[in-house]
Amino acid sequence: MNHLRWLMREWRGGELALLLVSLVLAVTIVSGVAGFADRLQRGIVGESHKFLAADLVLKTPRSLPDSALNKLPAVVERALVVEFRSMVVAENAMELASIKAVSDSYPLKGELTVSETPFGAAQTTREVPAPGRAWLDSRLFPLLGLEVGGALQLGELTLIAERALLTEPDRGTSFYGMGPRVLINAADVARSGVVQAGSLVDYRYLFGGTEEQLQAVKASLQPELTASERWQGLDDSQPQIAKTLQRAERFLLLAGSFGVALAGVAVALAARRYSQRHLDTVAVMKALGAGSRQVTGLYVGNILLLAILATLVGWVLGLGVQNALFAMIRDLVGFSPPAGTLRPLLAGAITALLCVVSFALPPVLRLRSVPPLRVLRRDLGNESLSSGVSAFAGIGGLFLLMLWYTGSIELVLAVLVGVSAILGLAGILVLRLFSAMRRWAQGAGGVLKLALSAMVRRRQANAFQVVSLALALMVLLCIIAARSSLMKEWQLQLPADTPNHFLVNIAPDQVGPVNDWFERQDIDSAGLFPMVRGRLVTIDGRDVQEIPEIEANRGSVNREINLSWSDALPGDNRLTAGQWWPDASASLPRVSVEDEFAERLGISVGTKLGFRIGGLPLEAEVTSLRSLSWDSMRPNFFLLFEPGVLDNYPSSSITSFYLDAADKVLLNDLLRQFPTITLIEMDAVIRQARTVVEQVSAALELVLVLIIGCALLVGVANIQASLDSRLHENAILRTLGASRQLIRTCLLAEFAMIGLVAGLLAGVGAELCLYLIQTRLLDMSASWHPLLWVVSPLGAALVVAVSGWWFCREVIVAPPLQVLRRL
Amino acid sequence: MIHAENVSKRVQVADSELCILKGTSLEIKRGESVAIIGPSGSGKSTLLGLLAGLDEPTDGDIWLAGEHLNALDEDGRAALRSKLVGFVFQSFQLLPGLTALENVMLPLELRGDRRAAKVARDYLERVGLAHRLDHYPRQLSGGEQQRVALARAFAPQPDILFADEPTGNLDAETGASVNDLLFSLNAQSGTTLVLVTHEPILARRCARRITLSAGEIIEDSGEVVPA
Repeated sequence: MNHLRWLMREWRGGELALLLVSLVLAVTIVSGVAGFADRLQRGIVGESHKFLAADLVLKTPRSLPDSALNKLPAVVERALVVEFRSMVVAENAMELASIKAVSDSYPLKGELTVSETPFGAAQTTREVPAPGRAWLDSRLFPLLGLEVGGALQLGELTLIAERALLTEPDRGTSFYGMGPRVLINAADVARSGVVQAGSLVDYRYLFGGTEEQLQAVKASLQPELTASERWQGLDDSQPQIAKTLQRAERFLLLAGSFGVALAGVAVALAARRYSQRHLDTVAVMKALGAGSRQVTGLYVGNILLLAILATLVGWVLGLGVQNALFAMIRDLVGFSPPAGTLRPLLAGAITALLCVVSFALPPVLRLRSVPPLRVLRRDLGNESLSSGVSAFAGIGGLFLLMLWYTGSIELVLAVLVGVSAILGLAGILVLRLFSAMRRWAQGAGGVLKLALSAMVRRRQANAFQVVSLALALMVLLCIIAARSSLMKEWQLQLPADTPNHFLVNIAPDQVGPVNDWFERQDIDSAGLFPMVRGRLVTIDGRDVQEIPEIEANRGSVNREINLSWSDALPGDNRLTAGQWWPDASASLPRVSVEDEFAERLGISVGTKLGFRIGGLPLEAEVTSLRSLSWDSMRPNFFLLFEPGVLDNYPSSSITSFYLDAADKVLLNDLLRQFPTITLIEMDAVIRQARTVVEQVSAALELVLVLIIGCALLVGVANIQASLDSRLHENAILRTLGASRQLIRTCLLAEFAMIGLVAGLLAGVGAELCLYLIQTRLLDMSASWHPLLWVVSPLGAALVVAVSGWWFCREVIVAPPLQVLRRL
Repeated sequence: MIHAENVSKRVQVADSELCILKGTSLEIKRGESVAIIGPSGSGKSTLLGLLAGLDEPTDGDIWLAGEHLNALDEDGRAALRSKLVGFVFQSFQLLPGLTALENVMLPLELRGDRRAAKVARDYLERVGLAHRLDHYPRQLSGGEQQRVALARAFAPQPDILFADEPTGNLDAETGASVNDLLFSLNAQSGTTLVLVTHEPILARRCARRITLSAGEIIEDSGEVVPA
């Protein structure tokens, strides 16, 4: 028999539509979400390169010889950034500024934002100042008493203050970037005469191109470089952002793989219904002489043809989903999506095949064992669909799919544990529950009795329904909870009032006046911390230069370290060993050490450390180790002494505080009052980091919406799976005189109970899965989700009851005979 | 045409074994029309299923057109049914997703007959449904559905037709007309007819009547009418 003709006939039966939709859904999710995630990921990586304003940066204190640069491949994009600090002078004022001179091709990635007037409306540009022009931080205009178009002196060069500079993509990558910015053209550096031999200048050579081209650049320049010159890529320049992106990528994969899992469940449900509705057909065909091979050929051919159709439709929809998602977040992500690749399409096709093989074929294949005698005895053949083999095939397929899709055995194991827990629990609990219900049903009355009996009668179908609903719900809960944890952690990392300005070099006699100033301006500072600069010279009496074990961490001791003191343990510090200034008197001054610093140098509680501070020696004993959060943007110290120890050494203080962009003009007043204090502005860096978090979060939200859609579809497929028997039974009840009201209440009660049990199981399974996802996959601390245990069962009961009633409303509305004849 | 020897069928019900047929033997000649009658639960449909090769006996042997059914597996029996057997069922057993024409074409297509559409159309015309070719079963009355089932049963020109309560789902008047059609088609094609019924009128139209009670043949009119 012709397969295509058979498919067309089968299509009219209606059951294939659900299977096709489920398969299309699977392909759409994979090719859509995977494609979207892939393109978003590449887009975000591209975006993150804008933090460097390039793909690759060479940071050096000297200008590279032309001979070295001329050897580079011509196709590689190049730009030069020169940064240094210098006084800029206007008619009535002068100010120490951070000068950034850039070549015409700057920035290779990202854009500058400027405004035509100080503190004016932002606009983006990829231009740079022409020679003789300067773009200034808004607050430099009032500080220097300048208007737009006014003249500004930099060394021997007179520049026109042309625009206000609001942001640069790579601000914050250089120490010389701290302080009010003046952006000029690189051609003006030599003419200013400011940069002389021995000047402290930071050169950054920016490169853009393909991975191979960048490797060629590295290979070509490496022989010319000294140890103090280094390469910067995304990973080593922005570790926090790289980490954020890594987590976002993992989450997208997690969401995508759960989407695939949901689609798999939908396919399994649809295939089961399809098979159920073909028991009679197969029996008739067999009675009319069809062999099991012929039956298998026809049905497998049908399903494979359907998979091909689903793949084609899913591809188109997947591409649509990708583009729709990008269209929705275009303003947020701020970049045009990179072109799609074939990989997500291939992924979609393989998904369809795997879904068919593991979810659709097992129930369909078992149709071949339907006995022909079913034409005479309709009770035969039903058991052929209830074998556990298809459950195993489905779960096996699910894991293969997820493993292939995510490439993460940990993730798949996390889901495996969750799924096994939920299946095991479901198996035991649901069957126990049903036998208990049988007893309750005897004692109950009215509607409850009917609903309970209905549940017990269909216990096998209901158990399947409960388990699949619980799985879908669990997936959804995991995604929502993991997303919330992730977002919360990101927000914790960068709360809105994260200090964004640092003040250093505050002299002891300025501490009071600076505190007064904060109070007057109503600014909440992190508190002023005294700071003494010293070197660590001995550990337990051994010269640090001669301890071979710390060779790899020599950098930690080959420089001056900031030392401070405190009576109380700072708020965001946590003791990990020892005691905070123990009462017992000690022979040596006492010091507390940051735990990672201690680990690097082999320091523990009781270790004696020798310091040299301003030429004077100091010996101290370690009494505690502390962990602290460097992300908090508050002053933190590797070494904290007990009060009094450092009193005789020259100290200055440090603090950090949050200042809104609109209040930045206040800084002028501060610096005018305390000209010796150094201000470090971190606001632009924090703002950029926050933008990435916002973009990624927006993408996650959208993917989440898609996954919720999938879960709803599983729910629909689930309810449809048992629709026939419910319609049939309720039509008979109505024939026997049951009122519409009774049927409606009975249906609502039965579905609500199914939802309640499924929701409860899902809550337990999700909690288990989340523990593994949080601790193993997202490197976060585990947390309980008590709300899950309440919201999940109640929410599921409500949703399943209402949607179940909606789908079965035909039996309430249509005449019973009509329903019976149709089934 | 059909030979059954000492055929028994026992099934497991809960913890006990239920014997539905007890050592039944019979011989049906080519062209005979045989009614199997008896009260509900007497084993009529079970015997029909066994003779048609839809089920396997617990004990005993069955030969269909000289083929020993016990020696064939399900696929072998299906192949034999495809060549020799037609069915008419009480519940019509039309496939709901197929039109009347496609339902009749089905057995012909299963055996790879390229003239399936033409033959099916011809038979639907014979049962008076030429104007209903593209109708789905749900759009047809009970009598019309059974007529489609008759067309489907006779279209492949089977040697043996098994009918299980063919008018059991129809009212008396419609049932009578379907019976007329059944016997008329049977007469035209010279098919061996084995019919299960509890309707005495229908049974009397068959040349031979076998009465079953509690799984045993208690009466066999034994009359043999040549084709």
